[in-house]
Amino acid sequence: MNFAIPNPGIRRRSVTGLWLRHAVSFVRYWKIVLTWVLIEPVIILVAVGFGVGKLVEEVEGAPSYAEFVTPGLIMGNAMFHALFETSWNAYNRIDNDVYETALTTPITITEITMGDILWAVTRSVMTVVGTAIVAFLFGWLNHWEAVGILIPAVMVGITFGALGFLFSAVAPHTTFLTLVFTLVASPMFFFSGSFFPISILPDWVEPVAWVMPLTSAVHIARGFALGSLDITHLWAGLYMVALTAVLWPAAIVLLRRRLIK
Amino acid sequence: MKILRLRDRLTNESQQNNAAVRNTNGSVIHAENIKKIYGDIAAVDGISFSVEPGETYGLLGPNGAGKTTTMRMLSGLSPVNSGSISVAGVDVVKDNRGVREVMGVVTQHDGLDNGLTVFQNLFLHGFLAGLSRKESKNRSHEVLEFFGLRDRSKSNVYELSGGMKRRLAIARSMMTNPSVIVMDEPSTGLDPQSRNRVWEELAVLKDSGVTVLLSTHYMEEATILCDRLSIMDHGVILDEGTPDQMIERHAPKEVAQLRVTPTSLRTVRDYLNERDITFREVGALVSVTGANGERPDLSGLEDTDGVRTSYRAGNLEDVFLAITGRELRDE
Repeated sequence: MNFAIPNPGIRRRSVTGLWLRHAVSFVRYWKIVLTWVLIEPVIILVAVGFGVGKLVEEVEGAPSYAEFVTPGLIMGNAMFHALFETSWNAYNRIDNDVYETALTTPITITEITMGDILWAVTRSVMTVVGTAIVAFLFGWLNHWEAVGILIPAVMVGITFGALGFLFSAVAPHTTFLTLVFTLVASPMFFFSGSFFPISILPDWVEPVAWVMPLTSAVHIARGFALGSLDITHLWAGLYMVALTAVLWPAAIVLLRRRLIK
Repeated sequence: MKILRLRDRLTNESQQNNAAVRNTNGSVIHAENIKKIYGDIAAVDGISFSVEPGETYGLLGPNGAGKTTTMRMLSGLSPVNSGSISVAGVDVVKDNRGVREVMGVVTQHDGLDNGLTVFQNLFLHGFLAGLSRKESKNRSHEVLEFFGLRDRSKSNVYELSGGMKRRLAIARSMMTNPSVIVMDEPSTGLDPQSRNRVWEELAVLKDSGVTVLLSTHYMEEATILCDRLSIMDHGVILDEGTPDQMIERHAPKEVAQLRVTPTSLRTVRDYLNERDITFREVGALVSVTGANGERPDLSGLEDTDGVRTSYRAGNLEDVFLAITGRELRDE
């Protein structure tokens, strides 16, 4: 089976071509999409920052609860965007033969995942930048290092972009895809240290929380947001890279199995 | 006039392309003993054929015959288990990317992108295929004009009729101006008018020198469009030739068709069985073939109430029946 080995080399046009397709399609519906990129995260930010923040008097390692929660919410939201792009949206592209048509041009499965993950990164960065600006205006992002949040934003796009494919590539129907939220997105959103430091969790839960890649992303983002970077943030970054090095090839294998019959 | 000029332009470009892209044996598509096995089942079980430059070649067979699998293998979308394929000088087994640079593909379900407009479908496909943005834009306008879709350029794809969607899918395959196209069932699911329109456009493409491989289970389509065809069933090619050759080889010269009412059907059956005359029933239609393919003797049925008799020449449907013992239209 010669096809098991992808053609050597990456054709750049495959990646930019697919990215452009997603961008054009996105721009067509920008009014609707904007609500998700910006309005929804801001609603959550305001509710948690002003609402819950009033009840929490102090939180470990941050001057206020709002400043603690901001990088966590931003990363959690970035995760939703990246995951949704390569799970639900990619599933629709499988189902509607968008990839099948793309494959009639000189594109490989690897390049399909690259184009899509690049778009997942784009979405992640868009929502992070938008929400971060609002948080900055509220006075919840105060350190110049906060610009560095773009780094975990890109990493979230890649890691969760690859992870989303594991679902879309095997999903028999869209109902299956709800597992993306029940198994991945929701547990991570709430247990990755976005809302509270995971050190307050029971001892046995803490290591589990650290396995979740969003925990690392939130940790890094918080390091930048609060200007408190240390060596642990490097480890968190390396963990995400290592995880991606497993998830992405797995995504390629599964997607190839689905599309190349 | 503008359209005619565009056609000339398509024609010249394609002919230029054609000259450059042949296999070593002079063909444009050459498949040699290709096999595709899924589990225990051979979907394609060692078939060979060649398509010559400018030819329209058909794979005729019922659903499940292996036509789609064959086309996917030819266009580099599905690996072969064994055998070799050359398309326009590209060894498809070794270089499945290369073949997609020289070949246009029309997939079975149109594969249009519902998130985009008609124009965007073409433009982005051309860009993905490697055209520059300017080239892709110009080419999109050209093919829209050629396929009579110019005023639908800004429409959403889901607003188009089935016939327009199919023409857009064919237009899309022409974006890179390929000299060879494969089309999986180009007119399946279309109403007769749309089908005629698609056939007209395919005829113009053929006229412009484009080499076409198409699969179909409509004998009418195969008769009208194909220079040569092969009949496929259960993953093998049973015979190959021009439509006329195939009809001469396998079909009766004349077939009597009896339109019957439910009450007269029994009389007809008894009459034919008594005389050992071969017949088959499709709905309320009984097709009767005489010995040696000559006109059968149905004089005894002339006065039977509820029977109307007409005669037609043998066609590809009869060929298929003769070769496989089955009806072609078994959807």
